[in-house]
Amino acid sequence: MAFATWLSRLRIGRNASSGAPRSRRIPTLILWSPLALAFGNYFYTVKLISGRSMQPTLNPDSSLWRDFGLFDMFSIRSRHEYQRGDIVAIVSPENPRRMIVKRILAVEGDTVRTLPPHPDPEVRVPDGHVWVEGDDSFHTDDSNRLGPIPAALIESKLVCILWPFNRIGRVTVPAGETLNSVHNWTRQSVQDAIERDKWRKSRVTKSSHRVPRGPHVY
Amino acid sequence: MACALHIFAEYVGTVSLMSGLSMMPTLADSGEIVVEDRLSIRWNPTGIARGDLITLYSPLDPSRIICKRVIGLPGDVVCVDPTGQKAPSTEHVVIPKGHLWISGDNAAMSRDSRDYGPVSMSLVRAKLRARVRFLDRTSTVAHLAYIQIYPDITIFRNPITYLD
Repeated sequence: MAFATWLSRLRIGRNASSGAPRSRRIPTLILWSPLALAFGNYFYTVKLISGRSMQPTLNPDSSLWRDFGLFDMFSIRSRHEYQRGDIVAIVSPENPRRMIVKRILAVEGDTVRTLPPHPDPEVRVPDGHVWVEGDDSFHTDDSNRLGPIPAALIESKLVCILWPFNRIGRVTVPAGETLNSVHNWTRQSVQDAIERDKWRKSRVTKSSHRVPRGPHVY
Repeated sequence: MACALHIFAEYVGTVSLMSGLSMMPTLADSGEIVVEDRLSIRWNPTGIARGDLITLYSPLDPSRIICKRVIGLPGDVVCVDPTGQKAPSTEHVVIPKGHLWISGDNAAMSRDSRDYGPVSMSLVRAKLRARVRFLDRTSTVAHLAYIQIYPDITIFRNPITYLD
């Protein structure tokens, strides 16, 4: 109710004082909506994450709700900045209507030791591609099945978790020192996260230098 | 207002400049103005037919946008390179689900699916609907000659017909 009165004031109140003829008024909400849309398209946006491929980092079984995350579009769409270890939202290469959330394991030039569904034991990530995997390697459709994914399909990267109240904040791999300062009952999960991160890194051979790109013919 | 224009260009369509040799007989190598239709891709991302002209994000470099022609749809069997220059002409591939086989009209000067294989449909940005060129001609009005600049619009229609 309060919202409705506020809305009506927003639409009528401002223009009534300016004396413009009634027919030529543009409702303020419509006037400003492109700005909000553009902000959501180019800077930050909130997304609901569903599915279990990123467990236990996102949507852990202990949580009652699905996670809402804040995603950064600007650094991907405008600056094309992404690193190994970033959690990113990607347009599924098989279905343009679907978004998937995965972690970048390797970038162009790196060599990755693959996991079972993939036919080759080792893969070099080609130019302009990334190797992505879910944190839960048993419930995920990732590069092990789809192969390296073009970097142009990366849409945004996860900045922080917004909703389940107890897990609000940035998603980072905990440092080794924090083990001593946490409670006994979270110690195991922290240790697991560190172990998983070590295991992920051990499968990637980073390219020592970026191969300069030759003159392209498009 | 600028935001509204931007949103329109992002979701509905836009006019853009093209350059590059790869689409040579269809599009000149520089200063070509085309009409991009983004709405139909947003509306129906899989509604792409063989023979369509599309723009897509380059699978090799996320900051580049390339323009190619669609040759094969998911499930088709495509000969990698009929000329046998980039691959033996007997090599054939089946295009996987959600992917396309694309090729430039100027095969000699184009990097396309012959080099990097089938590309994901999710990379597709827009369909090309028309090409606009501004030509000039000399006209006379009341014995005064002047140069008149007029637009020459070519609407791209799908050139493929199927014989069943």
